[in-house]
Amino acid sequence: MTDQDIFDRWKGEDAPLLPILQAFHDRDDHISEDAIRSISTSLKIPVAELFATVTFYHHFSRELPGKSAPRVCTGNVCSMNGGKELLDSLKQEGATAMPCAGRCDDMIPVIRGDQVYVGKTAAQLINRTSPLPAPNPGKAEECVFRHIREEGRATIDGYRKSGGYEALENTIKSSSDELINTITDSKLAGRGGAGFPTGLKWKAVRDAPGFPKSIVCNADEGEPGCFKDRAIMDHDPYALIEGMILAAYATGASRGFIYLRYEYPETEAILQKAIDESRDAGLLGKKILGLEDFNFNLQIRRGAGAYICGEEGSLLNSLEGKHPFPRNKPPFPVTHGFENLPTVVNNVETLASVANIVRKGSAWYRSLGINEHAGTKVISLSGDIRHPGNYEVPFGFPLQELLHEWGGGANNGRNIQAVTMAGLSGGFLAGNDLDVTLDEACIRSKGSFLGAGGIIVFDDSRDMVSVAHEAMQFFAHESCGKCFPCRIGTQRLSERLNGNNGQLSLENWQEEIDDIAAVMKATSACGLGMAAPHITDSLQRYFPEKIEAHLNRSL
Amino acid sequence: MIALKDKSSGTILGSVTIDDQLVEFHEGETIYQIAERSRRNIPTLCYDDRLEAFGACRVCVVEVEGIRNPVASCTTLASDGMVIRTKTDTIEKYRKTLLEMVASENRDLDINELAGYASQELGTLLDLYQARNGRFKGKQSGHSNQDDKNPFILRDYDNCISCYRCVRVCAEQEGDHAINVMNRGFETQITTEFGNDLRDSQCTFCGQCVQTCPTGALTDKKAIRAKDLDGEVHKTRSVCPYCGVGCAVDILTKGERVVGIQPAMDGPANEGALCIKGQYAFDFVHHPDRLTKPLIRQPDGSFREAEWEEALQAAADGFKKVRQKHGRHSVYGIASGRAPHEAAYTMQKFMRAGFGTNYIDNCSRS
Repeated sequence: MTDQDIFDRWKGEDAPLLPILQAFHDRDDHISEDAIRSISTSLKIPVAELFATVTFYHHFSRELPGKSAPRVCTGNVCSMNGGKELLDSLKQEGATAMPCAGRCDDMIPVIRGDQVYVGKTAAQLINRTSPLPAPNPGKAEECVFRHIREEGRATIDGYRKSGGYEALENTIKSSSDELINTITDSKLAGRGGAGFPTGLKWKAVRDAPGFPKSIVCNADEGEPGCFKDRAIMDHDPYALIEGMILAAYATGASRGFIYLRYEYPETEAILQKAIDESRDAGLLGKKILGLEDFNFNLQIRRGAGAYICGEEGSLLNSLEGKHPFPRNKPPFPVTHGFENLPTVVNNVETLASVANIVRKGSAWYRSLGINEHAGTKVISLSGDIRHPGNYEVPFGFPLQELLHEWGGGANNGRNIQAVTMAGLSGGFLAGNDLDVTLDEACIRSKGSFLGAGGIIVFDDSRDMVSVAHEAMQFFAHESCGKCFPCRIGTQRLSERLNGNNGQLSLENWQEEIDDIAAVMKATSACGLGMAAPHITDSLQRYFPEKIEAHLNRSL
Repeated sequence: MIALKDKSSGTILGSVTIDDQLVEFHEGETIYQIAERSRRNIPTLCYDDRLEAFGACRVCVVEVEGIRNPVASCTTLASDGMVIRTKTDTIEKYRKTLLEMVASENRDLDINELAGYASQELGTLLDLYQARNGRFKGKQSGHSNQDDKNPFILRDYDNCISCYRCVRVCAEQEGDHAINVMNRGFETQITTEFGNDLRDSQCTFCGQCVQTCPTGALTDKKAIRAKDLDGEVHKTRSVCPYCGVGCAVDILTKGERVVGIQPAMDGPANEGALCIKGQYAFDFVHHPDRLTKPLIRQPDGSFREAEWEEALQAAADGFKKVRQKHGRHSVYGIASGRAPHEAAYTMQKFMRAGFGTNYIDNCSRS
């Protein structure tokens, strides 16, 4: 394939930079200087700017062996399970470390080219399908996982067998108002963690001036300890696609993108097949289901390794081929999104809930929650827990019940010392604060948040300061580098958790940590910098004696 | 209330209260712009009013009633009825901490003023907030590239704070896109494409990156040669003599010696921009070969010094002789590109009325 073949393939398409870079990365096993110059000329992006963008993404190799060399997960969960040792054993093959790759329920992921292998040692590495969520241990009624375990669910016939695409077929018989009202009434809200009401967002996009509008699915599941979107896309891809088509119907959007993280290469193939089959069935493309004005073109864009691209402004910049910095808000994507036009940005789980809500009604969905809480949340449970995996829980569900009844308690008969919330972004909960219910109000009252729903468990053998250090290293690695409080703050916090703290006394250590945390929480430009101090805050709240020991050790 | 003086330049959207003062504002004005207009000094590091607001340093954050977190005043548009506080104890504490954090990533905080126009910005703020106290020790960011073999721009990224002003001025003002970054987070490194030297990039050495750098990470290599010279730096406003644009410059002198040039940010023709010649080509002033008197060529080909009166007469005689011998069209007048309109006009008048020829041109046309 020549450079020109690649350019011709993407000529005239929306959001062409990422797929072109991926095509070069695939063809040459790395992105060479020549490739950057060639793409620069073709897309009319200044060379220095394109170079900056390429170097931003950690999965784009600029030397050989590149894409084909193993990338080994050394995220918090994998590093507790031999990730670093596995990395060392693959060093002669040019292996590099990567942050959490979303396989915490089936460790340790190693990406080679476009295949994910799993195994605890080099000899055990095999390529296999990602785990299906286990049947709900508490027999709680599910929405997102309602049909996911059915045979053949990832084929269009299998999807249709249990009512797939019925929601869409029925919805288009009435106006977009009715659909938006149903979603609003259901109280469905952003399941990526921000919790913005989905119906309200759709309405805002529908009412915003400017065409074409877009639906962007945020499938950049980069939060460590989160792997729910992977499970949905691998085993129920049509549910996501139907949700996106419904969103397009609600808002009048004609362009759709699934922004998929680099670490899920096989998921891309699954989604692409589902998109192609849906298009062939008249459910995507022009004149959907024979409706004159219902056009929706859905495409996948694969990221290249950048946690920040899960932030919607960064994601949109990344799609547009710009440097993936978060955008200054306002304006928000509902009016100024993809190419500055009205855009819905929704998480996979949110969109995958939509078709079932439409079929079964908003009252049904609301009733799935406990007490005053509406609906469900998929929790990715991992770490030192007997039964790691994805669990769809009713909002308001007791954390202890999830950990002990559903998750089977800590491994090896140990006790649970702490858990994280929102992957790593919510910091730790420990002690009596484990007696919370899984809903934002309750978790926030403990100074944390539920977020995307990743919960990592640490048993009482774990060194919590070193866990916190690894978490902060992740945030420092993923900070985009634009705003000062986050760029410098994540680095300094990480250094102080590593003992490289200029030999501070406990008092000075705490003062520095608190001042940095305060400034990060108040003045950071996006959620990454605002959330990262949850790690140090909660470490100080629950484990003050361990910090003292850490400082004595590093003196 | 501080009312808008010029009511014509845009829709008036309403007024905001800044530190208890009511201020009227236009559509599109940011909190920072309104604050500047009403003489509140909000500190900034990544702000350059010629560039699109970026929102990176967060030193300009202010409190807005009803919004939980402070907002970056440079990127936040004002809306009617906003109640803004620019200097609360909390905000001032954040600024101090931020400045201490910034100070912790740089090697040098004392920068010679010859480094560049904005080079004292960080140091001045550090002093204002008493932030040179060595807190937050740790790894320093940026890798110096002092070996870059160009005669104009010293690239000492050990003192870089990644404010992107150089990147943005290069793209937005100059349109060269010569510099950008590589990597991200604390590893962010301002550089050219593929990390090459400036000579191998799109750089035209206009020096605008140097003049907007608030830390001296980018330094005027020619000006800094005079750092050990005795005397204060004195600035004299002048106009660049190189072309007819009329860029305003400040000529930097120490004693009788011209040591550097800085663009005038308020120069109406250039607004802080210069080109490589205006910025760096001033060495001729003190060059030993510089002509200080007119020379007249002798019959043997050598030159002799003369006074202006005699030299001009010699030139006039020469022209006359040619015209008499070969006719009026034997003379051809070319105006210098360095000459302003008025001089160009005088030249054509001189050629047409004096010599009677229409053979005129301007060097910029070639």
